[in-house]
Amino acid sequence: MKKILNNPADYVDEMLEGMVAAHPETYAQPVRRVIARAAGAKKGKVGIVTGGGSGHLPIFTGYVGTGLLDACAIGDVFASPSAEQMAEAIRLADGGAGVLRLYGNYGGDVMNFDMAGEMAEMEHDIRTTTVLLTDDVVSAPKEEAEKRRGVAGMVYAFKIAGAAAERGGDLDEVTRIARKTADACRSIGMALTPCTIPQAGKPTFEIGEAEMEMGMGIHGEPGIWRDAIKPADEIAEEMLERLMADQPLAKGDRISILVNSLGATPAEELYILYRHAKQKLDALGVEIVMPLVGRYATSMEMTGATITVIKLDEELETLLKAPADCAFWRV
Amino acid sequence: MIDSSAIAKALSGIAAHTATASEELCSADGALGDGDLGITVSKGFAEAAETELPDDVGMALFAAAKAFQRVSSSSYGTLLATGFMAAAKLEKGKTEIAPDDIPVLVAAARDAMMARGKGNLGDKTVLDSLDAIAEALEGATPETMVDTAITAAGDAVEQFRNQPNRLGRARMFGEKSIGLADPGQLAFLRIVEGLKHG
Repeated sequence: MKKILNNPADYVDEMLEGMVAAHPETYAQPVRRVIARAAGAKKGKVGIVTGGGSGHLPIFTGYVGTGLLDACAIGDVFASPSAEQMAEAIRLADGGAGVLRLYGNYGGDVMNFDMAGEMAEMEHDIRTTTVLLTDDVVSAPKEEAEKRRGVAGMVYAFKIAGAAAERGGDLDEVTRIARKTADACRSIGMALTPCTIPQAGKPTFEIGEAEMEMGMGIHGEPGIWRDAIKPADEIAEEMLERLMADQPLAKGDRISILVNSLGATPAEELYILYRHAKQKLDALGVEIVMPLVGRYATSMEMTGATITVIKLDEELETLLKAPADCAFWRV
Repeated sequence: MIDSSAIAKALSGIAAHTATASEELCSADGALGDGDLGITVSKGFAEAAETELPDDVGMALFAAAKAFQRVSSSSYGTLLATGFMAAAKLEKGKTEIAPDDIPVLVAAARDAMMARGKGNLGDKTVLDSLDAIAEALEGATPETMVDTAITAAGDAVEQFRNQPNRLGRARMFGEKSIGLADPGQLAFLRIVEGLKHG
């Protein structure tokens, strides 16, 4: 293992300490492993919390900020936070108008977050709702779409639901919009090399020097095929085809697209993927709004990319373009 | 009378008894899973036993659930904490648990754990233990409840021993799990036995 760290056991806590120290105007850590807005919960505003394992920055903690999330519980690398930490995040996000739990569909996270909701209700009388992201199209067939994993679509969900809460929507309204956003997102990933979890010390999977894997998940979950690496245009073509097979796009549709690095893939290569995606969508007559290209949802130092497409209507587009501010992203 | 201090005493008894049984439970779990169940259970109850409990018995059960989950966030730990929490919700605002409530609380715990763990009765899990206890406690007099529960939990272990596990990691062992006591059911038997040590 070749990593910049002191002790693997301190990896997450030292990362959080550094992040808060670098951006004190945005982040605070009032409780160990719970990141909240530096200014605290906004009175009368619906709170939005998320949570999950470390190793995905800017997801999850990075998106705490104005027009985005209110608080986030964070676990060890690729491991769920405890229910108690999640309950603390709910408490810190509560401005008296209830709290939406908005996160990716992973078994451990769901169990703990449900429990956290019960805790917050029992102890602080906070009403909570849940919306899960299930945007990874290869993780389960369309008939079992509710079993799919949540990946980079979370970025759109945080942004759009965050804007809905910021403009004063009540809990039911913010929940409805989050649900609608989650339903409109589709993602797919591909990987070239694995990453190493500090406390495990060895790579999450093995792959040949000249190979790629299509459909791989954000923690290295197996994809749909593994073969010799293809040219960028063919990779982008297949990814978009698979997304459109799940959610057809037609002339006149308005979408936003996120071409995301899994960590080690440079911006240069993301733009090469975006170039082909843009050509293909132009040819179909699909309008791209606010394209995002960069590092939004990573898997440590994994090499690879994900593409997310969200189909927009006027409501979602307005909220996507609303102002937002965190240390990793400004709109 | 089951007030907050009686709950504290029961938790201490369970903590002591499951600590003694820790090795047995780890080796039962090691045959079908990752072998840490004894630690999960004894650590969880030790933490709950050390927690200061409020007079409100609902909030006392809640504090125990939180403490348990804090140190023991494995799926078995989360399930047990879920059970405590279900009972806590029903008792919130009271300073004593009425004996008549006990079968109801056990059944509520069973139902909440089934929902959270997405398990069914007959899968050879701790859910079957709770179900057997809830049923056995119906109509039992307060004095006989602990013994009745222990008998029911022990019977559940024996009744399921010769069936395969159908849920969780143990399910992967299929036929090999036949003849082995389910570690979760065995752990629950030791937990209920702990009530006698309080």
